[in-house]
Amino acid sequence: MARPRRSRRTLTTLVLLVLLSVTIITLDETGRAHFFTSGMRSLASDIYSPLRRGVNDVLDPVGRFFAGAIYYGSLEQENQKLQNQILAIEGQRSAIAAGQRQLIELERLQATDRLPSIVSLPAVVAEVTAQNVSNFAATVNIDKGGDQGVRLGDPVVGPGGLVGEVVTVHHGSATVRLLTDGKSEIGVSLGHQQQAILEGAGPNRSLQIQYVPSTATVSPGELIETSGLQGAALPPGIPVARVTSVHSVVGAADKQVWAKSLADLNALSYVEVILWSGSS
Amino acid sequence: MSGHAVVRVLLVVAVALLAQETVVLDVRLGGMSPDIMFLLPIAAGVVAGPVEGAAVGFVAGFAADLLAPTPLGLSALVGTVVGFGVGAISGSLVREVRGLPTVVALGASAVAVMLYAVLGAVLGESQFLQVNLALVVVVVAVPNALLAGPTVRLMRWALTSPDERSAAGGMR
Repeated sequence: MARPRRSRRTLTTLVLLVLLSVTIITLDETGRAHFFTSGMRSLASDIYSPLRRGVNDVLDPVGRFFAGAIYYGSLEQENQKLQNQILAIEGQRSAIAAGQRQLIELERLQATDRLPSIVSLPAVVAEVTAQNVSNFAATVNIDKGGDQGVRLGDPVVGPGGLVGEVVTVHHGSATVRLLTDGKSEIGVSLGHQQQAILEGAGPNRSLQIQYVPSTATVSPGELIETSGLQGAALPPGIPVARVTSVHSVVGAADKQVWAKSLADLNALSYVEVILWSGSS
Repeated sequence: MSGHAVVRVLLVVAVALLAQETVVLDVRLGGMSPDIMFLLPIAAGVVAGPVEGAAVGFVAGFAADLLAPTPLGLSALVGTVVGFGVGAISGSLVREVRGLPTVVALGASAVAVMLYAVLGAVLGESQFLQVNLALVVVVVAVPNALLAGPTVRLMRWALTSPDERSAAGGMR
């Protein structure tokens, strides 16, 4: 008789744990206990962020030591190459200075044309602490959060252009959903003020631009910027991507347009969070 | 599970999570990283059976969910089911046959990844099926199979008392 009782207990445990999991999923997805679920996530993040930083601070030098030992020859070559580049860049600096003065003047003119321009918005620089925490989502964690003024929906830019937007905020950290994430949707404008939606198609895949009419003129290499239409989630004029390919399908209302982000989303070290949500 | 076992399991889960978030996350194969959190319920199921497998799966999955930008509770659900399944199917066979935990870890990790992707898609996270699922399965399952031996030993330490371990050692 002991065997059936044990198997009943086993099944009861399974059913209880499955029900508990489903309840947590439901509460999180419907947002009914958002304060509770987000509070728990914030607490976990606040506990684990310093631990993660501590472990990384200890392990990074070890990893760099071994990497340096293995790739010593190529590092020496790279060092020489970089020194040559520095010399070339210094030569170009004087020419660029004159161009920059003209650019600043142009930006001033643009700022009056599209308000609010990101130039005039406050921003905080954040370090990327973890990249793609899950294999199923293209996100990065940053070391700035609500305590530094970061809010949900704030745009995040990196070297080259837009990186993504803030989707989770904790006290001292935040999660940024990258452009390539399957859930990412951003209102953009292409050349000739063509409005469209830029969607992620999964990590390491090209970006897809939706709702480009078959009559629109779009060509590879064209710059894509945030549209900033009325009520848009992001400010206008942030460079996002460049068109890589355009396909027209006979009979289809829209063109198939693909793009590549200007920022290298796989090599992010520091990013800038534009404090747009608070100021909009 | 005794009070001491619960404390040891929580310690193992906390350390595994820290390892996952630091060292393991930096290991990139085709842009994907291994996931050792799925290995804990598999090892618990192998060592102690379905109830312990399910319980460890829930705790490890929930801990992982707290730090991931994915639905809260999804890893807990998958961990529960996989831990229970491994414990129920393997039974005493796995504990006695040498090397079989490695095969179980390989198969169960693959099932866990696929279950996670499908359940996520059912919950409206359609992008879960946009990733290269075959690559994720390989990147998660192979390292878990390689780490199955040490993890089973670690979970045996966490789930059994010193008396039980010495009794088991004496029987051999």
